[in-house]
Amino acid sequence: MTSRRVLLPWAAMAVLAAVLFAWKVRDAWPVGGDHLQWVILQNAVLPRAAVAILAGAALGLAGLLLQRVLRNALAEPSTLGISAGAQLAMALATLFAPALMIWSVGFVAFTGGIAAVAIILALTWRRGLEPVSVVLAGMMVALTANAASAALILANGDYLFSLFIWGGGSLVQQSWDPAVTIGSRLAIGLAAAILLLRPLAILGLDDASARSLGVALHASRFAIVALAVWIATTVVAAVGVIGFVGLAAPALATLSGARTLGQRVVAAPLIGAILLWLTDGLVQLVSGVGGERLPTGAATALLGGPLLLWILPRLRMMEWPSLSTLMAASRRAARPSAIIVIALVALFGAALAALLIGSGPEGWSVATGSLLADLSQWRAPRIVVAAAAGAMLAAAGVMVQRLTGNPLASPEVLGVGTGAGAGLTAVLLVNAAASLFWQIAGAAAGALGALLLILGVAARGKFGPERLLLGGVAIGAAASAVITAVIAMGTMTSYTLLTWLTGSTAQADATQAWTALALAVMLVAPAFLAVRWLEILPLGGETAKSLGVPLKRARFAVVLLSALMTAAAAMFVGPLSFIGLIAPHLARLVGLGRARDHLLGAVLLGAALMVLSDWLARMVAFPYQLPVGLFASLIGGPYLIYLLSSGARSRH
Amino acid sequence: MATERRLPLAMTRRAFMAAGAAALAARRADAATLPRLAIIDWALLETALALGAVPAAASELIQYRSLVVEPELPGTVADLGLRGSPSFEMLRQVAPDLILISQFYDYQRPQLERIAPVLSLPVYEAGTAPYALVEASTLRLGEAVGLRRKARAYVDDTANEIARRRAALAPHRDRPVFVINLGDSRHFRAFGGDSMFGDVVDRLGLTNAWTDTTSYSAAAPVGIEALARRPEAGIVIVEPSPPEVARGLPRNAIWNALPAVRDGRVASIAPVSHFGGLPSARRFARLLEAALSHWPAS
Repeated sequence: MTSRRVLLPWAAMAVLAAVLFAWKVRDAWPVGGDHLQWVILQNAVLPRAAVAILAGAALGLAGLLLQRVLRNALAEPSTLGISAGAQLAMALATLFAPALMIWSVGFVAFTGGIAAVAIILALTWRRGLEPVSVVLAGMMVALTANAASAALILANGDYLFSLFIWGGGSLVQQSWDPAVTIGSRLAIGLAAAILLLRPLAILGLDDASARSLGVALHASRFAIVALAVWIATTVVAAVGVIGFVGLAAPALATLSGARTLGQRVVAAPLIGAILLWLTDGLVQLVSGVGGERLPTGAATALLGGPLLLWILPRLRMMEWPSLSTLMAASRRAARPSAIIVIALVALFGAALAALLIGSGPEGWSVATGSLLADLSQWRAPRIVVAAAAGAMLAAAGVMVQRLTGNPLASPEVLGVGTGAGAGLTAVLLVNAAASLFWQIAGAAAGALGALLLILGVAARGKFGPERLLLGGVAIGAAASAVITAVIAMGTMTSYTLLTWLTGSTAQADATQAWTALALAVMLVAPAFLAVRWLEILPLGGETAKSLGVPLKRARFAVVLLSALMTAAAAMFVGPLSFIGLIAPHLARLVGLGRARDHLLGAVLLGAALMVLSDWLARMVAFPYQLPVGLFASLIGGPYLIYLLSSGARSRH
Repeated sequence: MATERRLPLAMTRRAFMAAGAAALAARRADAATLPRLAIIDWALLETALALGAVPAAASELIQYRSLVVEPELPGTVADLGLRGSPSFEMLRQVAPDLILISQFYDYQRPQLERIAPVLSLPVYEAGTAPYALVEASTLRLGEAVGLRRKARAYVDDTANEIARRRAALAPHRDRPVFVINLGDSRHFRAFGGDSMFGDVVDRLGLTNAWTDTTSYSAAAPVGIEALARRPEAGIVIVEPSPPEVARGLPRNAIWNALPAVRDGRVASIAPVSHFGGLPSARRFARLLEAALSHWPAS
C-alpha cells in the first residue's frame, strides 16, 4: 500500500513532535497551585505549540499557492525575498516611523513583502516569470534586503536588538494573540484556496491554455500572490523569518503522493505544521536555561538546505523550461579594441578620482602634494582591493552567465560567497577575537566546502546549468541560515559578521592590497585560456559537443575557476557581488560580444564599478563609512531593472 | 585645546610631524598641556570627558548623544564615524597625539598605529565584574593624559557617590532586581554579573536576579517567561525599547501576570551606555535610585 507507506513517516514525525510537546507540558506543569506557573503553561507552552503548528501550516499554504501560481517549484516566502523584504520594512519602520510599528506590525511586514515580490515580478515579467530567473531575482532581492537590514543594525548599534530577533525567527510566546492572528489568516487563506481550486488548477497550466479556459489570468494571479504574501508576512510579523518550510512542505506533499491540487491544499499545510512543530520541539529540547542557542527559524533553514539538495533531483524537471535559448543576442561593436581602451581609461579615471577627491574635516578637496602622500596610504589599498575584487567578480560573472546561458546568473548563485561567511562564522564562534589570518583561513575553508558541495551537485547533473544554479542557491541559503542564526544571538561575533556581510574594505592595508592583486592576476589570467569554451558554451551542450568541446571538463574548469574567484572576492568585499551580475551586462551592452572581449571588458568595468562603489561608501556619509556591498547593489539594482525590462523584448 | 582647529590641509608633512613631536614634548614638559586625543571606545570617551580631557575627535557622536547622553559632548569634537570602522582618513587629518581604544578595537590597531601611538585600555572582560577594571583603566587614562590627580579624585568621587546611594537604598537592601533591555514585546536580554549594570546593582546593596550565563555582559535574547523564575524580583528596563513594545507588552499575558508588574515593581530608566565607564556607572546608579524610590520597601 503506497499511501500507507508514505503516510507512516509523517505520522511518526507528528507523534514525535507530540511527545516532545508532552514532555514540555509535563516540565511546565504547576506544582501546588502555583498561579504564575499556570499562566506560563497556558500562555507560553500551549500557544507556542499552536503557533508552531499554525505558522508551519500557513507557510506551507503560502508556499503551495506561490509555487502553483508562478509554476515554480522553488517559489516560497524565503526564496522570493518576501521574508527579507518584510524584515527590512520592519527595521526601517522601527527606526524612522515608529508610530507605524505601534499601529500595525503586520501592515509594515506586508508592505515590505509585497514590495519585494513586486520587484521580482517586474524583473522577470519579460521573461514570462520563468522559474530559474524568478528564483535568481528573488535571491538578489533577499540578499540586498538583508544587507540593508544589516547596515541599519550596524549604524544603530545593538541598541535595537529587535532587528536581530526577527532575523532568527523565534517562536517564544506569551499570549494567544499571535496564534489567533495566524490562525485566522490561515483559515481565510484555506477557504480562499478551496474556492480558487479551479482557477488555481488552470493557472498551473501554461498561459495560453489558461486564457482559452476563460480565466482572468493576471488578475487571478496577482490576487493569489497577494494572498500568499499576506499569509506569509503575518507569520514574519508575529514570529520573524522562518525559512524553507514554505518550500519543503509543498514539495514533500507532492513527493508523498498528493496528486491532485485538492489533496495538496490539505497535505502541504499539514506537512508544514508537522515540520515546524517537530523542529521547534527539538530546538526547545536542546536549548539551555540561559536562552535558546538557536532560534527556530534558523534551525528550519539549517535543516532545509540539505533537504532542498535532496528534493531538487526528485522534482520533475519538465517544469523547468530550457534555459539555453534565453540569452539575448548582443550588438557587436565594429572595433572592440577601442571600447576596451575606453573601459581601461574609465578604470584609471575612477581610481584616480578615488585617490584624489575626498572629504575631510574642512569639506571636499582635491588632495595634492604631501596631503595626497599622507592619504594615499589609506586610499590606495582600498582602491586596489576594490578593483581586484570587482575584476574577479566580473570575470566570474561572465563565466557563470556564459556557462548557464542565464543572464540573471551571477557569482552568488555558486553559494561559495556565503559559504565563506559560514566558515568565518565557525572561526568566530570558536574565538570571537580571532585574528585576521584565522578569519581569512576560516572563510577560505568555508568557501572550499561550499565549492566541493556545488561541484558534487553539479557533477551529478553533468554540470548542467539548472542543477548548478539551484544547487548553488540551496547551498547559499543554508550557509546564510548559519550566519543569520549566529547574528541573531546578538553578541560581539554578530558585529564582525554583519560588517563582513555588508561588505567592508575599511580595514584594507598594503598586505591585503597585494594579496588581492596577486589573487586577481592568478585567477583572472587563466580565464582567458578558456575563451573558446566560453564562446561555445552558451550555444548549448549539443552544439558545444559537436564543435569538439570536452563538455564535462570545460564546465568543470569554468565552475572551479569562477568559484575560486568568487570566494577570493568575498573574503575582501563580502558575499554581495552585484558587480558580478552587472559588469558582464555592461560589457555586452557596449558591444563586447566575443568571449575574449566580453571577459576583458567586464573585468575592467567591474573593477571600475567596484572602485566607484567603494569611493561612494567611503565618502557619501563621511566620516561614516557605509557598506561597499550595499553601494554595489544600489548602483546595480536600478540598472538591472532597466536592463531586464528593455533587453529581452523577444517575448510578447 | 578644544577650540583649536588645525588646518592639516595647509600643513606640509614635515611641519605636521614637527607639530606632533612638539605636542609630545610639551606634554612631557608641562602636565597641564593635554595631548591631542582621538578616542574610539565610548567608555573611554565618557571617562576622558568626565576628567575634562576633551578629545579632538571621537567616534559615532550622533549615537553617543542619544544613548550615552552624559557627560555632555562639546561641539568642537570631530566625528570619526562608526566605532567598528572609523574613517582613517578623517583621523589622519585630525592628527592626534594619542589614540585611545579598548580591546574590542584591537583589530584596528595596525591601521591606527600608523597615525599616532595607540593606548588600549581594557574595559570589559567576559566573566569578570567590570567596575574594578574600569576604575583601573580610568586611572591609567588619567596618567596617560597627565591628569593623574583628577582621575584619582573622579574614581573616589564615584565610589563615594555609590556608597551614598547605597545608604539611601537601604530600604531595598538585598532586593533582587532584573536589569533588562527589551528586544521586542516577547524577548529581553538580562545584564549579568559581568556587566556594569550588574556590578553597580551589587555595589548598591541590591541583588542581581539574573544569575545565568552571559556573554560579554548581556545574555542572548530570552523569552519574557524567564522573568518568572524569580517572582519576588523587581524589573528595571533600560531604554530604548523598540516602538512595538508600547503596544505588545501590555497585551502580554505572562508579563501582566508577573508579581513585579502587578505590584508596581517595574521601572523604566533613560538610556545608559551598557559598555560604559565610570560616568555611565554613576548615571545608572542615579537613575536606579530615582526609579526605586517609587517602589514599596522590601
